[in-house]
Amino acid sequence: MYRKILALTLLTVLLFGCAPINKSTSAATVVTVDDGLGRTVKLSGPAQRIVSMAPSNTEILFAIGAGSQVVGRDEFSDYPLQVKPLPSVGGSMGNYSNEQIVALKPDLVLAAQINTPEQVKSLEALGLTVYYLNNPTTLEEMYKNLEIVAQLTGHESDAEKLITSLKARVAAVDAKLAHVTNKPIVFYEVDATDPTKPYTYGPGTFGDALITEAGGVNFSDAAGITDQYPQVSLEQIVKTNPQIIILGDSAYGATADAVKARPGWGTIDAVKNGMIFPFDDNLVSRPGPRLVDGLEQLAKLLHPELFQ
Amino acid sequence: MKIRPYLFSLLALGLALILSLAIGSVFLSPAQLWDTLIGHGTQVSNAILWDIRLPRTILVALTGMALGGSGAAYQGLFRNPLADPFLIGVASGAGLGAVVAMSIQWPYSFWGLMAIPMAAFVAGLFTIFIVYALARVGKTIPTTNLILAGVAFSAFATSLTSFLMLRSTNDVRRALGWLLGGATQSGWTAILAIVPYLIIGLGILTFSGHALNLLQFGDEQAQQLGLNVTRSKTILLIAASLATAAAVAFSGIIGFIGLIVPHVMRLWFGADYRRLILLSIIGGAAALIVSDVVARVVIAPQEIPVGIVTALVGAPFFLWVLRRAKNQGYW
Repeated sequence: MYRKILALTLLTVLLFGCAPINKSTSAATVVTVDDGLGRTVKLSGPAQRIVSMAPSNTEILFAIGAGSQVVGRDEFSDYPLQVKPLPSVGGSMGNYSNEQIVALKPDLVLAAQINTPEQVKSLEALGLTVYYLNNPTTLEEMYKNLEIVAQLTGHESDAEKLITSLKARVAAVDAKLAHVTNKPIVFYEVDATDPTKPYTYGPGTFGDALITEAGGVNFSDAAGITDQYPQVSLEQIVKTNPQIIILGDSAYGATADAVKARPGWGTIDAVKNGMIFPFDDNLVSRPGPRLVDGLEQLAKLLHPELFQ
Repeated sequence: MKIRPYLFSLLALGLALILSLAIGSVFLSPAQLWDTLIGHGTQVSNAILWDIRLPRTILVALTGMALGGSGAAYQGLFRNPLADPFLIGVASGAGLGAVVAMSIQWPYSFWGLMAIPMAAFVAGLFTIFIVYALARVGKTIPTTNLILAGVAFSAFATSLTSFLMLRSTNDVRRALGWLLGGATQSGWTAILAIVPYLIIGLGILTFSGHALNLLQFGDEQAQQLGLNVTRSKTILLIAASLATAAAVAFSGIIGFIGLIVPHVMRLWFGADYRRLILLSIIGGAAALIVSDVVARVVIAPQEIPVGIVTALVGAPFFLWVLRRAKNQGYW
């Protein structure tokens, strides 16, 4: 009997799942771009009223000169300063206010990978045009994202100029570091709420990639860790013995003095030599043009002798 | 049949519905609301009222009905005042199913989006079947066995869920939101998908009042009074779990409603299950709608997961009701 009930239940799940989904939009289209969910997004011209759903998207929009077309932002967008007065559409704990988004009458909602497919669907169901921008994993992909957003907003030439200057800055860093042989092991602290088990960046994150590009060896690579955001034991840190500690959690109160005072950290070279530096984590965690700022600042921290 | 309890609770539900349609993160004046109601709204006010607030309110109401009704049934079935719809594992099973489904990259399509609620629903029901099979002794299902098997299996599923969440850092926000009861995928699809299960589940429970009354005397007494105890228990278990699992699949895990609404109804209107189930269904809807309104406005335009509100507002309210009723021995 139970097997029958189970089978019946499953069958009904399948049957009642079948409701129609797509509303297609009409109008002559000028801009057509494929997005990160494999959807094709069509706009009848460059977007003029944009709601940004992530800090990285907001930074991209302003960097390519589309800032005046932004009418709303997520709660965590705080850069550049002009975004502060813009109405917030939420975003804490992944909750956005669809009411607020609809009320802003956007012609484009720029979503990011921190947004769920369900959110994209619910906005789409309200008749809004949503573009889902995938996170880049390399600087090249980040440039590509700048081009995509430029295409959506009609700022192609601004974006090309920006990309050229970003590439020149990266090349300048690379040139300075070309002959570096002493590559310090760098421990990047993401969160040390529990100082015996802090979180750090692993392979596949910009934290890891930029430390490598800035002429260092990321702790995770030195220790053979493959997780993206590993929580590592203090024992492992002591054993790997980083020469530099970077406090990505300085915005949350971590300081060099506090690290020195932590029990068990005193034997690490970076702590003994006072090589502990606060850092703006947004420069490596937000996949936008400020990643290049992050690279430059990391290179200066790791190899100050080359940047006098 | 006493009519006043029904009138009272339906009035509360009606007020909650009006509140939920009138209040949101975007302010609509009474005049704007009225215009929109009679079909003279602007594009924005139409979208907000008809496409955002109404489907969300209905989904929340249905979820509250499922939690309130099955909570009352579980308390009667287990003869345990601490029983709630999640006691023997629907929530932890569904949570595990959802988190496993989230770890897979589904295509952006109708079925891809349905994968998570379906996984939650199936896993929730599957848990009940496992617990039932574990608890059964011959032809009987002793209540203590059910609770112990359920609690142990829940603990197992919950820790597996936590482990998976720690491993897949990218989806933690999504998973956490789901586990705290965020109505992530609102809209009419969810409502259409859960209504059939609620009708079956809650319909059966509503007409099981007599059986639940008899079960209060204990299994042996109930059997002597002519009730087929094992069959009744099985039917009640399936009906309550079906309704809960369907609601949880789309609304996430929302605590406390299923625990306190039946108690409040019992304190106010008496312990007769022929009345209590239906009253808890109505009361559950009203209570969850009000909680959802609070969740929407307390830090607008941000929203907090409704599961936080139900416990934060529900616990003090329940203590107040309990305190007032302390002189009537009630359970």
